[in-house]
Amino acid sequence: MNENTESFSPQDRQMKTYSLVELVKGPTTMVDRGPDDSIFAFPMVAILEIFLTLGVILVLLLMSLTVNAPLEDLANLYETTDPAKAPWYFMGLQEMLEHGHPTLMAVAIPTLIVLFVIAIPYLDNSPAGAGIWFTSKRGKRIALFSALYALIVMPLYIYLDTSFPIREIYRGQLPDFFLNTVVPALLMVVIVLLPLLVLSRYKPSAREITMMLFTVLFTSAIIFTLVGFLFRGPGFELYWPWGMPEGYSPWDNL
Amino acid sequence: MSEKEADKSVPRRSFLGMAWFATLSLVAVQGLVAILKFINPVPTGGFGGFIYAGKIEDFAINSINRILAGRFYISRTDQGVIALWQKCTHLGCAVPWDESEKIFHCPCHGSTFNEVGEVLGGPAPRPLDYFPAEVSEDGIWVDTSDPRSRNHHDPSHMTQVQG
Amino acid sequence: MRKLIKTVTESRVWRSFFRHGWPDNPLDRSLVMTTNIFFHLHPVKISRKSLRSSYSLGLGVISVIVFGILSFTGLLLMFYYVPSVERAYSYILLLQTRVPFGQLLRNMHRWGAHLMVIVVVLHMARVFYTGAYKPPREFNWVIGVVLLILTLAASFTGYLLPWDQLAYWAITVGTSVAAYEPLMGDSIRAILLGGSEVGQEALTRFYAFHILIIPGAIASLISLHLWRVRKDGGLAAQDAVKIEPEALQGTDNE
Ligand code: HEM
Ligand code: FES
Repeated sequence: MNENTESFSPQDRQMKTYSLVELVKGPTTMVDRGPDDSIFAFPMVAILEIFLTLGVILVLLLMSLTVNAPLEDLANLYETTDPAKAPWYFMGLQEMLEHGHPTLMAVAIPTLIVLFVIAIPYLDNSPAGAGIWFTSKRGKRIALFSALYALIVMPLYIYLDTSFPIREIYRGQLPDFFLNTVVPALLMVVIVLLPLLVLSRYKPSAREITMMLFTVLFTSAIIFTLVGFLFRGPGFELYWPWGMPEGYSPWDNL
Repeated sequence: MSEKEADKSVPRRSFLGMAWFATLSLVAVQGLVAILKFINPVPTGGFGGFIYAGKIEDFAINSINRILAGRFYISRTDQGVIALWQKCTHLGCAVPWDESEKIFHCPCHGSTFNEVGEVLGGPAPRPLDYFPAEVSEDGIWVDTSDPRSRNHHDPSHMTQVQG
Repeated sequence: MRKLIKTVTESRVWRSFFRHGWPDNPLDRSLVMTTNIFFHLHPVKISRKSLRSSYSLGLGVISVIVFGILSFTGLLLMFYYVPSVERAYSYILLLQTRVPFGQLLRNMHRWGAHLMVIVVVLHMARVFYTGAYKPPREFNWVIGVVLLILTLAASFTGYLLPWDQLAYWAITVGTSVAAYEPLMGDSIRAILLGGSEVGQEALTRFYAFHILIIPGAIASLISLHLWRVRKDGGLAAQDAVKIEPEALQGTDNE
């Protein structure tokens, strides 16, 4: 009798009132979760979004009523403005260009950084700690330390490299490739990887290593952008933003 | 057909699939190449051509004169004249001549060049490019369609001035 | 009055537009989300955690809003702007001096562009520090990086359009960097500029990029990005319980 029994008789099939919509990997819905803490999206989310939209429009409108967008003279291909600056979000790149060969500073390093940023979720792929700021107290300290480190070291690097430029001091005595590419590349690698050496003594998780690298790079990017945008004046020399010569103001470049 | 042969042969279904796939890829690649060719700029001449810079007497020895129409400087030394393109070899800014410092000083990232275009400082990787210049009785003619880049300045880049 | 509203909302025409009743009960509040194109991006019920402003800072939503404002103001500017070397600059002047609200629109578009770069960068930073890129959200992070690059590209191409000194030299410097790319550098620059120098060809190409190609790509990717947010189970904040030991203790007696 057992042999011939079909597990699904036609009758059973007719009684099937469900269908498979999607396969989901993961624990069943309620495993490890607290009580359902959710609300209906309808009025709340819509209201929040409308208010946010109004707020953003208001901020932009106020800004636009008080400050006019800059417009300089008609483009003149015989005369470069002094200083000639890229839009502010590229001033980090332009500042990097001050410190080495363009292929290194404006192509190789940015490409590496973008590749690193894309790769982050694949370098740190444990789902643990997602959705929590800094993941843990220790994570927060690591981020803070990395930010402080970059905040001190990068301005120092920019200042020293500008006042004692290796490129100028040894110009003609050592090959250009060495001065303009090898030395800055080594310096950058050392500066960025040095704090990782410190961290490695504390058995860091993938998340913590990524967090340190990201924080150092992110903070450095901000510093380079700010230096390029605010601290570079005529002749692309370093000045204090409030002490620019020749009536130049960095804000005119926005 | 022996079993071995059967193993190697491709079933009709997957053969057709592969043929389709190959054809579609080919069409896609062709399309891509066509688009690339389309957006690759066709040469439009630009400002190239022969530009008359002026009579040789107008250019004193050890002086720099700017010829706006040709976007170059005529620099004359005791070795001859050279027509230096105004375009910075670093990132393309127009380099002005600084008469008080006697150097070309690029405002963009501070590269400096001497009167024959050699790099004195800053990030520029090469000396200023130059255009071939001809010196004849009626004056200096410069061929701006043919910028020459160089890694070092050489006296042969200059055009001798007779007399 | 009540009656009128009732007849209207119960008419077949109204019913064909809106397939739900007044959303004051769970059923209609669900339907309002699932049957409306603007709201179907949201789930019917949403966890309180992901709404908390200290978690997401609302930066992603603000990016969408600013993108919307930019599209709108940009569209209006197109009614006057001409991408021609001879006329672009004078039309900007006309816009600023003669066209009612022209200066205001230009200001809003310009400041909005700067704001968008800032907000998108901050959004990326918040996603990073909350660990929200972790599985299953890896791919959405990658889409995000592409969105960031596109945002920069949109800003950069727009920067050339006024054809003033600022625009001309910023784009000259910016595109010269591309030429230092090994192997393909010169052809990339040529394709961007349509020639060897910034001129009419460059303006034409940048215009095409700025008004259609890049915004189109951004709009498509934003759709993908938001769809993925839902498919990945909403914001990572609601998964956060999983590892916090304190939180886990709370679920012991379940
Ligand atoms: C045009 C630019 C962008 C727009 C309009 C946008 C929009 C959004 C929106 C509306 C959300 C919902 C959550 C929130 O409000 O924070 C979101 C989440 C997210 N975004 Fe973006 N985004 C952009 C760029 C980026 C970038 C640059 C990244 C990272 C490289 C990124 C990665 C993510 C990820 C991983 C989530 C899920 C976050 C979570 O689960 O907590 N996005 N985005
Ligand atoms: S463009 Fe002249 S120094 Fe950079």
